[in-house]
Amino acid sequence: MAPVRPQSFLSLPAPLRRAVASYSLARAAYAPPLANSTSIRAHSTESSPHNGHAGSSVNETEVSHFNTLASSWWDPHGSSRLLHLMNQHRHPFINRCLSTAPPLPPNHKRKYLDIGCGGGIFAESAARLATTQSVTAVDPTPEVIAVAKRHQRTDPLLMEPGRLTYHNIPIEALPLPTTPADGFDIVSLFEVIEHIQQPAPFLRSILQHLKPGGWLIGSTIARTGTSWFTTKFMAEEVLQMVPRGTHEWSQYIQPHELKSWAAKQPDLEGWQTMGVVYVPGFGWKEVDGSESWGNYFFGVRKKSLEE
Amino acid sequence: MVLASTHPSSLRAARRLLELPPAVRRSFWSTASAAAIERKPEIFDLVCVGGGPAGLSLVSALRSDPATKGLKIALVDGQDLTTSRTPGNEGFSNRCSSLTPASLHFLKEIGAWNNVNNIRTQPYHGMEVWDGVSGSKISFDPVDQTPGLLDSLAELVPGSRFAASKRKYETGDPTTVATICENGNLTAALLQQLKESGGVEILDKTKVESINLGPEPENEEALDLSQWPVLTLPNNRQLAARLLVGADGANSPVRQFADIPSHGWDYGQNGVVATLQLDRSFTADEIRTAYQRFLPTGPIALLPLPGNRASLVWSTTAPFATKLKQLSPPDFIAMVNAAFRLLPIDIDFMLTHHESVSPASELAWRETSTNSKSLGLLNTFPRVAEVQEGSVASFPLRMRHADTYTGHRVALIGDAAHTVHPLAGQGLNLGLADSESLVKSIAYGMETGMDIGSCWCLDGYNADRWAKNNAMLGVVDKLQKLYSVGSGPVVWGRSLGLDLVNKMGPLKGALMGAAAGTK
Ligand SMILES: Cc1cc2nc3c(=O)[nH]c(=O)nc-3n(C[C@H](O)[C@H](O)[C@H](O)COP(=O)(O)OP(=O)(O)OC[C@H]3O[C@@H](n4cnc5c(N)ncnc54)[C@H](O)[C@@H]3O)c2cc1C
Repeated sequence: MAPVRPQSFLSLPAPLRRAVASYSLARAAYAPPLANSTSIRAHSTESSPHNGHAGSSVNETEVSHFNTLASSWWDPHGSSRLLHLMNQHRHPFINRCLSTAPPLPPNHKRKYLDIGCGGGIFAESAARLATTQSVTAVDPTPEVIAVAKRHQRTDPLLMEPGRLTYHNIPIEALPLPTTPADGFDIVSLFEVIEHIQQPAPFLRSILQHLKPGGWLIGSTIARTGTSWFTTKFMAEEVLQMVPRGTHEWSQYIQPHELKSWAAKQPDLEGWQTMGVVYVPGFGWKEVDGSESWGNYFFGVRKKSLEE
Repeated sequence: MVLASTHPSSLRAARRLLELPPAVRRSFWSTASAAAIERKPEIFDLVCVGGGPAGLSLVSALRSDPATKGLKIALVDGQDLTTSRTPGNEGFSNRCSSLTPASLHFLKEIGAWNNVNNIRTQPYHGMEVWDGVSGSKISFDPVDQTPGLLDSLAELVPGSRFAASKRKYETGDPTTVATICENGNLTAALLQQLKESGGVEILDKTKVESINLGPEPENEEALDLSQWPVLTLPNNRQLAARLLVGADGANSPVRQFADIPSHGWDYGQNGVVATLQLDRSFTADEIRTAYQRFLPTGPIALLPLPGNRASLVWSTTAPFATKLKQLSPPDFIAMVNAAFRLLPIDIDFMLTHHESVSPASELAWRETSTNSKSLGLLNTFPRVAEVQEGSVASFPLRMRHADTYTGHRVALIGDAAHTVHPLAGQGLNLGLADSESLVKSIAYGMETGMDIGSCWCLDGYNADRWAKNNAMLGVVDKLQKLYSVGSGPVVWGRSLGLDLVNKMGPLKGALMGAAAGTK
C-alpha cells in the first residue's frame, strides 16, 4: 500500500495589490516511495517543513488548519470565493483541450475522475453538465468529503444514482480500470500538484485511470517571484489572509517543467496551457503568457490506441 | 496508510456552519394561512411567477437558447393568459409601450417578434419634447445626429443606453426611434411562441398562494430542499424551484418572500391612458412623431398608432386623473387638446372647474387668445378628434427600486425589481433587458455547470442590470422632478438647458436615445 501523507490544508488568497493574486488549495499531498522516480522538480529545495518521510504521521496542525476552513467551502463570501470564480474557467478550458483532438461521437457522455476533489466545487459542476455521464471524485480527507456529500444533497440532480460519487480514499486506493476503454475521459487535478512531494511518479500513476484519447487536466501556480510575493509574502505574511505555511512555494511547478515532462511520456500528446490572473472586482481573467508567472491550467492527452 | 483523524467536534462545528442559511434573510410569503410543505414537492429547474412581458420574454428566451432549452420550467400567473388582451380590429388597447430598437432586437433574436401582429404596431421616427411653461423645446430629429458628444455621455450615465444609441446611429437603421406596440400584442406573441416550442408548463389562472422554504430532510442521507423555495398553488400543488423568478409585477410576492426591500416614493400622480383618434390619418410609410409636453402637473405624451390612432399617456395629479376619467368623451377630447395647446394655468382652471365650464368652449376661446407658438407648439401637431370608447383608464405612478435583484434561488425581473415613471417610456423595455441579461447568466451557468439558483450564477445578472437600471431610474426621476416645477429659476434654467440642447445635434441624439432607450 502506498504510504500517503495527507496534508490537509486549504488556502485562499484574495484580491491582492497589483491586480494579481494567487491561491492554492491543497487536498492531499502525496509522496510515493519510488526510489528511482525522476522528479520533474529537480531543483526543488528539500527544506520544506512538510517534507515528511514516507508514512509519516499526520501533521495535526495542518488538520486543524483545514477544519477551520472546511466549513467555508460553499459560503459565497467565504474563503473559497476565488476558487468558485476560477471554477467557471475550468470547463471552457477542458472544452478547448477537447476541441484540439478528433471530435468525440455526438452523443458521447464524458466520465470524469476528479482527484483531490475537496468540497466538490469542480466535481459538482462537472456532474451538472449535459455532456457528463458520471463524476467520480476522491479525496483522502474525511472532513472535505463530508462537506462535499452534504452539499450534494441540496441538489436533486446530483442525487441521481451514478451521477456524482465521492470516495474518501487516496487516489491509489481507487481500482484501476479493468480494460483501457473503462478508463475516464477526463482526469482532473486542480490545485493539487503543488502540494505533491514527487509529481512525476504521481502523474505517471494517475495516467493509468485515463482512457486512451482521454485528457489529464489540471491547474496550479508557477514558481516565480510574483507568486512568491502574492501567495507567500502578501497572503501569508502581510495580509495574513491565509495561515502561514499554507503554500509550499518551493514546490510550485513551472509550466515548461510540466510540459517537458509530458513530452517525455510516450503515451501523451497535445499539450495545452492557459494562464489566468485574478483581477479584483472582475474575477479571473485569461491572460496570454501569464502562465509563466501566475496561476495556469494545463491539459495533455493520452494517445488513442491506434496512434 | 495513515489518514487524518476525524475530530468529532470539528465535524459538528462544520455541520453547524453549513446549516446557516445563505447570506440572504428569508421569510415566507403567503396570502392565506401558510400551507404545510409536503415531503415531496414537484421539482423544477425554474419557476417564473408572472406572465407579463418580463416573465413571458424570459421563458421564451430560455426556450430559444440551446444552453437553457433543456431546463424544466413552469410559468405561473393568476390571470387568464389565453384571452387575447388586444381588442378586435376596431380599436387599440390603451396599454401600449414604445419598444426601443434594443428591445426589438432581443424579441427578434428569440423569434418572438415574428408572432407580433405587425399591422397593429407603429414605428416612429422623431420626437418632439417641449416645456409647457417656458415653451423651449427640443425636437428629436434623427437625421442631424453626429457622433462625438455621445461618447462622453455614454460615460456620464453608465447603463443608460447612450452607448448603445451611439452604436445605432453609427451603423444601424438611422430612422426609427422606437416602435409602439400594444402590451397585449406582445404578450400574445410571446405566449404563442411558447405554445409552439412547447416544453414549458404554463399554469395560468393559477394564483400563487404561498411561498415557503422546503421541508427539512428526512434523514442524514436524504435530499435536502430546506433552502429551496416551494410554491403552493390552489389545488395544493407544490412546486420546488431551483431558481424562482419573480416577474410578478410591482407588488411582487417573490420579492416579499425573498425579503428584498424595495425603496422609492409615490409621485402622487396617476398615468391616464386612452386610445385616441386624430383629425388626420397617416399611411404606413409616413414619417411619424411622438409628442411630449412637460406640464407642472406631469408630462402628457401622444404616441402614434397606425392610421389615425394615437395612444395617450397623461401623467397628472390624482384628483385631476379622477376628473379626467369622469369627463364625457367630447369634454375629454377638449381637455387633451387643451393640455397640448394652452397655458398650464388655463389647463388647471379647466380641470378644476370642469363642472361649471364646458371644456370645449373654454378651449375654443382660450386657444384664440394663446400664442401657442410661443408655448412651443408645432404647427404640424395633430388635433385629437375622438377617444375610443372605454379606453380611458389610470394607474398610480411610483418609483421603486429593489435593493438587489437576486437572492439565494431567487431573481427579480421587470416591475418586480423596479417601477419607473412612464415619462421616458422605459418600464417595459427595462424588463425586457432584464430578461435578456438573466438568460445570459443562466446560459453561462449551464455551460459551466453552475447551480443556476446559486449566487455564482445570478451575481452576473445583478451586476449587469442593477446599476444600469438605477441610472435610468435616477435620470427619469430627476427629469420628473425638474419639470414638476411651475415657475421661477428652475424653469429659466431648464429652458436654457433645453434650448442649448436643441442647438447641439449630437446631444439631442443622445437625449433622444435616453428618452426612447434607443439601442
Ligand atoms: C401609464 C403607464 C404607461 C406606461 N408606458 C410604458 C411605455 O411606453 N413603455 C414602456 O416600456 N413601459 C411603459 N409602462 C410600464 C410597463 O407597462 C410595465 O413596466 C410592464 O408592464 C411591466 O411588466 P412586468 O412583466 O414586469 O409586470 P406585469 O405586466 O405587471 O406582470 C405581472 C404579472 O404577475 C402576475 N402575478 C402577480 N402576482 C401573482 C400571484 N400571486 N400569482 C400569480 N401571478 C401573479 C400578474 O397577474 C401579472 O400578469 C407604462 C406603465 C404605466 C403605468
